[in-house]
Amino acid sequence: MRRVLTLLLALGLGFAQGDKLKACFIYVGPVGDAGWTYAHDLGRKKAEAALPWLETRYVESVPEAQALPVIDRFVREGCQVIFATSFGYGEAVLEAAKKYPNVIFAHATGVKRAPNVATYMADFYQVYYLNGLAAGALSKTGKVGYVAAFPIPEVKRHINAFALGVRAVNPKAQVLVRWINAWYDPAKAREATEALLAQGADVFAFTEDTPTVIQTAARKGAYSFGHYTPMLKFAPDHVVSGQIVHWEVIYIDFLKKVKEGVYTPKNLQNVDYFWLLQHGAVEMGADYGVPINPKHVPLLQKAKLAVGGKEVAVYDRIMTLLKDMQSPKPTFDPFTGPIRDRKGVVRIPAGKKASLEELLTMEWAAPGVVGDWPGEPK
Amino acid sequence: MEEALLRAVLFGTPILLASLGALLAERSGVVHLGVEGVMALSALAAFALALETSPLLGLLAGMGVGVLGGVALGVFAVTLRANQFVAGLSLAALGLGASGLLGKRYEGLPLANPLPEGGLALLALGLALLLHLLLYRTRFGLYLRSVGENPKAADLFGVNVEGVRYGALALGGGLIGLAGAYLSLAYRPSWTDGMTGGLGWVAIALVILAAWEPLRAVFGAYLFGLLFFLQFRLQGSVPIPSEAFATMPYLLVILVLALSGRTRAPKALGVPFERGR
Repeated sequence: MRRVLTLLLALGLGFAQGDKLKACFIYVGPVGDAGWTYAHDLGRKKAEAALPWLETRYVESVPEAQALPVIDRFVREGCQVIFATSFGYGEAVLEAAKKYPNVIFAHATGVKRAPNVATYMADFYQVYYLNGLAAGALSKTGKVGYVAAFPIPEVKRHINAFALGVRAVNPKAQVLVRWINAWYDPAKAREATEALLAQGADVFAFTEDTPTVIQTAARKGAYSFGHYTPMLKFAPDHVVSGQIVHWEVIYIDFLKKVKEGVYTPKNLQNVDYFWLLQHGAVEMGADYGVPINPKHVPLLQKAKLAVGGKEVAVYDRIMTLLKDMQSPKPTFDPFTGPIRDRKGVVRIPAGKKASLEELLTMEWAAPGVVGDWPGEPK
Repeated sequence: MEEALLRAVLFGTPILLASLGALLAERSGVVHLGVEGVMALSALAAFALALETSPLLGLLAGMGVGVLGGVALGVFAVTLRANQFVAGLSLAALGLGASGLLGKRYEGLPLANPLPEGGLALLALGLALLLHLLLYRTRFGLYLRSVGENPKAADLFGVNVEGVRYGALALGGGLIGLAGAYLSLAYRPSWTDGMTGGLGWVAIALVILAAWEPLRAVFGAYLFGLLFFLQFRLQGSVPIPSEAFATMPYLLVILVLALSGRTRAPKALGVPFERGR
């Protein structure tokens, strides 16, 4: 009798929960930070709007050492899919995955997977290359500034792609890099930008979670490229373009596959999203749907670069490559050899493209990069 | 070179203002450890009001919140004679938390009419001079110092110890509020959670390093601003890793001010005053 009751109760609970899938998110920062966490939360909201059977929860500002207790709580509350949105959650996720073998985990920017742990990333390197082309064309001093967060492969890959773009238009240009060793620090971003302005930089890109670099550059009339979210409104005359992320594209795809039973807690060992322009996970733009600020289009049409011996307008080159890289089968990749690093060592041989492994472990500095480069290979 | 000096002043200004505020409180005998939290709340109040009305009203709102913060600390530290360190630290935590909570809808918005940094920097420098004159050339200054050194004696001479301490906390609070407003209305100009980034703690340390002298605080704050800028200006051109460079402003300011003379705290600093004891 008791067994029947338990069964009935279990069935009833199943019905009460309906067919909803519960996905839960752990954020490293506050959801309003206009950068990394804000973008993930936007992705969560858009996924929830797009998938009627989806129910989500999140906890913000979770320090990296505190992830495990939050995961415990999520599991108790019935979360079936848990997204851990910071690199530093890696250890906690792998530990929790062993403890809860029936829960699906996905770790953003992670490298280690397990049967129930997938990894995912929306990467900007192609967009950085295109923005580099524009930066190379717009700089009058030949000095482009880059305010960088931490000297890790992800940031180095982006600076390198940007520098390759800058040099493709102006082979003598320099990309001056300043590390602030922080993801969020407006004061450091401000003073690092001031330092680069004092050294003659007149176009800026950056990795930091606020629009500080853009605001500072605009005061001195310098151009800039937004990062992570649309930043046009902070300097409508000076933001040329930028890198914008669409995490929802990955979230929706992943959750649909969980719902359809394609992904189970047993088959995620090789599930790694490294999604780019072609998947729509990232966008080039000063704002949504605005690849290049219309105010700067004439200048970029006037500037030329040589492609295969022919003179092409920089604007046209950017648009052609953007279209190509957005297509299902791109033919162009910024990291196509021959590419030497700034010390002259061949890093990508002629005719070859950098492998995913090479992209994820990139430590070398591209030619034209000037400044301290911690971890630079000899 | 001019660029470096300009950065020294423009980034030194919020630290100077907050430092002067804490200094005033401490000269009257009250330790003000709430600077970081009060600054955070003032920055938010200033930004919110500037967005809804005008930058000037925003500036006043920032100062107003600073005054309130000072008075709030006074209620616990002066009237209730609570432990000043605990009261100050609570105020810091409360201010940081409350600003993060209340500021959600102002996060990530641009400010159309920011205030000029240069004008505010001059104002701050003027205020430092005024504060020096106030402390050493006025009756109120004499009262304030005597209350900080020997409140019992001051009381015997008819000085209202609690009144003077409240006055110092309110005035100092206004300066701390100005520092917060400078950050969100001129320096950034925008508001994000945690934008004070520890400058309040730097300001408190600077009070001690400047030996509770307003003019030395000017020097210390500008020196910090200069070194903070130079860590980026010199990065890559000197063979020092960027992480080590980042510690330079803190280390050198301590070193320079420690070597530039003896320091002595106000004698009654941190001691609650109670009549007849």
